Order: sequence, then C-alpha cells, then structure tokens
Amino acid sequence: METYNYHDLKILEEKNSLYKKLLFQSPDLIFQFSISVDGRLTFPFMSKSVITHFDLQQEEKSKDAYTVLRSKIHPDDFSKFLKSIQEAKSKLKDWNHEFRAILPEKGLRWFSGSASLEKDDEGTVHFFGKITDVTHFKEQELKLKLSEERFLFALEASSEGIWDLDVASNKVFYSSQSMKMLEFDAKDRVDSINLWDDRVHPEDKNRYLTDIQLHIDRVTPYYENAQRVMANSGEYKWILSRGKIIQRDENDKPLRIIGTHTDISAQKEKEEDMIRTLGIIGEQNSRLLNFAHIVSHNLRSHSGNIEMLLNIIAEETDEDFIKESFNHLRTSSKSLSQTIEHLKELVEIQSDLVQKKENLNLSAYLGKTLDVLAEEIKSNKVIIQNKVPEQETIVFNPAYLESILLNFTSNAIRYAHPDRTPVISYSMTSNKYHKILEIEDNGLGINLERHGKKLFGMYKTFHKHKDSRGIGLFITKNQIEAMGGKVDVSSQVGIGTTFKIYFNE
Amino acid sequence: MSKFKDVFVIDDDKVFHFIIKKLFSKNNIDINPSFYLNGLEAIEKIREKINLGVTMPDLILLDINMPIMDGWQFLDEFRKTRTTTTTNGQTIIYLVSSSDSISDINKAKEYQDQVKDYFFKPMTLEDLRKIF
Repeated sequence: METYNYHDLKILEEKNSLYKKLLFQSPDLIFQFSISVDGRLTFPFMSKSVITHFDLQQEEKSKDAYTVLRSKIHPDDFSKFLKSIQEAKSKLKDWNHEFRAILPEKGLRWFSGSASLEKDDEGTVHFFGKITDVTHFKEQELKLKLSEERFLFALEASSEGIWDLDVASNKVFYSSQSMKMLEFDAKDRVDSINLWDDRVHPEDKNRYLTDIQLHIDRVTPYYENAQRVMANSGEYKWILSRGKIIQRDENDKPLRIIGTHTDISAQKEKEEDMIRTLGIIGEQNSRLLNFAHIVSHNLRSHSGNIEMLLNIIAEETDEDFIKESFNHLRTSSKSLSQTIEHLKELVEIQSDLVQKKENLNLSAYLGKTLDVLAEEIKSNKVIIQNKVPEQETIVFNPAYLESILLNFTSNAIRYAHPDRTPVISYSMTSNKYHKILEIEDNGLGINLERHGKKLFGMYKTFHKHKDSRGIGLFITKNQIEAMGGKVDVSSQVGIGTTFKIYFNE
Repeated sequence: MSKFKDVFVIDDDKVFHFIIKKLFSKNNIDINPSFYLNGLEAIEKIREKINLGVTMPDLILLDINMPIMDGWQFLDEFRKTRTTTTTNGQTIIYLVSSSDSISDINKAKEYQDQVKDYFFKPMTLEDLRKIF
C-alpha cells in the first residue's frame, strides 16, 4: 500500500490544482462527459472555452447534460449524436463524431468531437475528450465539392477531354472524354505521354511540339494546337489541344501542365468543305470571265468580218468575187449564230439556280449514250468495256448527265489512236464525299503540261482534227460543277486519257 | 509596191484570209501573203526555211486566239528559232486580234521586243498605212 506524507500531499494538491487550471484555461474545448449505470448524462468537467464557445449560461450548466445537448445540437443531428455515444459506450472504444450545433450568437457551426472512454468501478462510463470547431473546413469542403461538381458537369456537357501531365514522370492523366476521342473505353486513365504523342499525325507533330515549347518558354500565355490524332480505328480526328503550365520548379522548368482536348473534326470537315467550295466558285468565276472575253472576242470577230464583207460587196463589181464574198458572209453569219448558241447554252447552266436533280441509274444512262453513238462505235470498231454496276445511282440533272456522257464518249472516239483498236472503259470508284466515274481511253492522249490549264477552256482544241470545236469540255465541266461535282484528267501522249467525274454523294 | 516581199498571215479564220487579200489588192499593196491556220503550221514553215537556208518572212500578221498553237506560243517558238539560227531576217510582227481583253493587251507589252504593234479587228485603212 502506498503512503503519502504531508509534504507529498501538499505537492500532489499543488499539481492537481495546476492541472485543473491548465485544463480549465486551455483554449481547446476540453470536456469530461459521463453516463451513469442508470443512464444519467453529466458533464463533470468542461473547460472555460467550452462554456464560452457554446454560450452556456449559468443555469444551463446546472441542468442535466441531456437537456444541454438537446438545446445545442442541431435537431437533425441529435439522434445520430446519441447513437454515436451509445455505440462508443457499448464497445468502450474511442468516440469520434461530427455534428452541427446551433449557437445563440454564432449560429450554425460544425463540430468534430473525439474522446477516450473509461469505465469506473460503479459502471459509469466517462468520455475524456475534445471538441473542435470545424465550420471553416466544412465550408471549404462544401465549396470545393460544389466547384468540382460544377466542373464535372461542365466537362460532361461540353464533351471536352482533360489531360494533366506530370513532367517528371512523363505520365498523363487522360479523362474519359479524351480516351473516348481515341476510341478507347470511356474511362479515366493514367498513361505515358506517348499514348497520345505517338498518334499525332507526322505532318502535325513539329507544329505541336513547337507550340508547347513556345508556352514553356513563356512566349505564349497558354499552349494551343490543332492536330490530327489517330483513333483506334486508324482514322484521324482533328483535336484542338489546349493547356497551361500550372507549376514550375525553381529553375522555371515546368512540373505540371493541365489542359483540354476538343474534338473539332466536324468543324474541320466543314472548313475543308468550304475551302473546296470556294475553290470551285473561284474557278467558275475565272472561267466565266474567260468566257466573257472569248464570247466578246468571237462576236467582235464575226461581226467585224460581216462588216468588212458587206463593204467589199458594196464596192465590188466582179460577179464571181461577189459570189465568193457571199459565201464567206454565209460562213461568218453561221459562226455568229453558233457563238450565240453557245452563249445561250452556257448562260442556261449558269443561271439555272434550281437545276433539277434526280436519282438516276448511271448504268442505264450510259447504255442510252452508247446507243446514240452506236453508229460511230461500230464504224470506228470501238471496244466498250462497261464496268459500271447495274444498280449504281447518282443524284444529277438528267439532261446534263446525257450531255456529259455523250461528250466524253464522243471525244474518246474522235481522238482515238489511229494505230490501234480504240478501247473505252467505264468504271466506278468512290471516296469519302463522292462517287467517281472513270472513263479511260487508249487514244491520242493530251499533253497536260502544255495544255492542262486550258483543257476545259472555251474554244481550245489540242488536236489537229476537222471536228474540233473546243466547246464540249467547257460546257461539260460547267454542268458537272453546277451539280456540285468536279472533273479530273490524267493523260499521256500516245497512251491515252482518263477522265474522272466526281458525283456528290 | 510594198517594202515587204515575204508576208505571213497566221489566223484560223479563213474569212479573215479572204478579207486581208481583198484589203491588200484594194489598196494597191502588191503582196501575195502565205496563209497559216495556226502557229504550228507557220513555225513548221519557218523551220523548213531555216533548213533550206532561205530568208525569214519579213512581215507577220499574227492572230492570238488559235487552236493547236496560239499567237503567244508561236512568239515563244519563233524566238527560239531565231536565236538558234544564223539565217538573217529582220522580221516585223504585228498582232491582229479581236480580243480587247486587258490581259492580252498587257501580254503584248511583254512581247514588245518581238511585236511592233497590236491591231484590233476589223483592220482599218489607217492600220494598213501604219504597216506599209
């Protein structure tokens, strides 16, 4: 048995009072809370700070603990609070709980309580613990949660991907949207930077790396680059990648870069479409200009001739000479009518803004054309190879289609090579935007280096040939383009010519 | 009498050939020009002359818009031919065209070392007086 002498007791008393003082005066909210065997709740001790913090009045301190707790704890949290106490008590384990309290002065506050438990000989359970006001953290947490939710919602709605590069490890966090763009499972993923970089189109890579470097070197306030990136299907997508360095080391080297991915394939496609359309319009415009010059040239030339011939006839007396002059006059007059006829034809194509389009069976129309030219095909012993599928259809103006097929076919017959049997073959291919009819012949061929630019010009003929009029290809090209299509040519002198007619899908 | 002996008229319009003949005879220009329907026909004739060692034409009336080889191409070919031959010939070339397009007129200026003047069709008496 331990015994204390007076001196020891004195020291003990002093110590005890020191501890009491310390505890009572401590700024921490310290308490002792007890539950007796009969279920009575009491606060044998609470530090001064508890009393002031919870605005406890003198009379409340004397009331039983249950009433005090009931009056301070938020009604919605009270039953949970009791439950947590009961649980800790029954298991005699540490108590940890968060709850709200409504205080007369401070209003609603968040608290976090923790305590160690002890059971005394009488069966009373004591909680020795501490309460912390965590309102500030809770508010921060709530704010963060809200902003995170807002951010996530914005991301989902905008379908943008997020990437987050840790420069030291070269590891990137790719958001589910970014992965979806590459046609992976739409799940967030942390992977090497190469997962993305290796898929960037070789033609876009330099610019991409340069744009990042410009931002690293602080030339640009943020990084931005539009790049083609290969998806899992092997197809390239246009992705707008943006980013910003959010952390640098003491040597200004970037540590972390965060950015977004936006799939701009649709915009790019529209943009390319627009450029294509602009190109066609530009070409059409310059051809129209050329057309205006040629027409004015021809009109002037024929009318000039007529004027001169009339002068000659007026002054001439020699009968034979007058007769010859009249012959020439007839020729000039005919040429003048022809020019006007061509002019009319062209104006019709250009001004017919709502050209009728129909679903046409290409194979049937080709058959019709070959029937029309049957006589010429037979007499020139032309071999026709029609590889156009029977069910092939295109959306086109029927009159234009007839005129186009007739023109290309009769050209191929007209400019056949004299040393061999003419072969004309028709076949279909396609690309993303067009169905393509290829008309290939083994004829004289055209020197494209020399005549390529003028091939579809008006009144241009490239062969010494009696029937060359040089209006056909000009009209044909205009008809094709009026339908939104285009025409390409490849040719080798002495070998043959291939025309490709692109029909819009 | 004309100061020109050997005259080429290069034009794809046969009516123009007839008219020019008539114009010459009516104005007492004693010339019987050689007619060519395009640049290539004319340049072939010129090459033939070089091979035979005879003189170049001393006057060429040249149209611009022609099939097979137009007036500009003819001028390019003719320049090459002249520089690669020692055959002497002071050839005077006039462009005669119905084209009044600015681009043709500007282009004629690029060829002013070869081309003396540019006449619009139909040719007038005054044009003829400038030439002869």
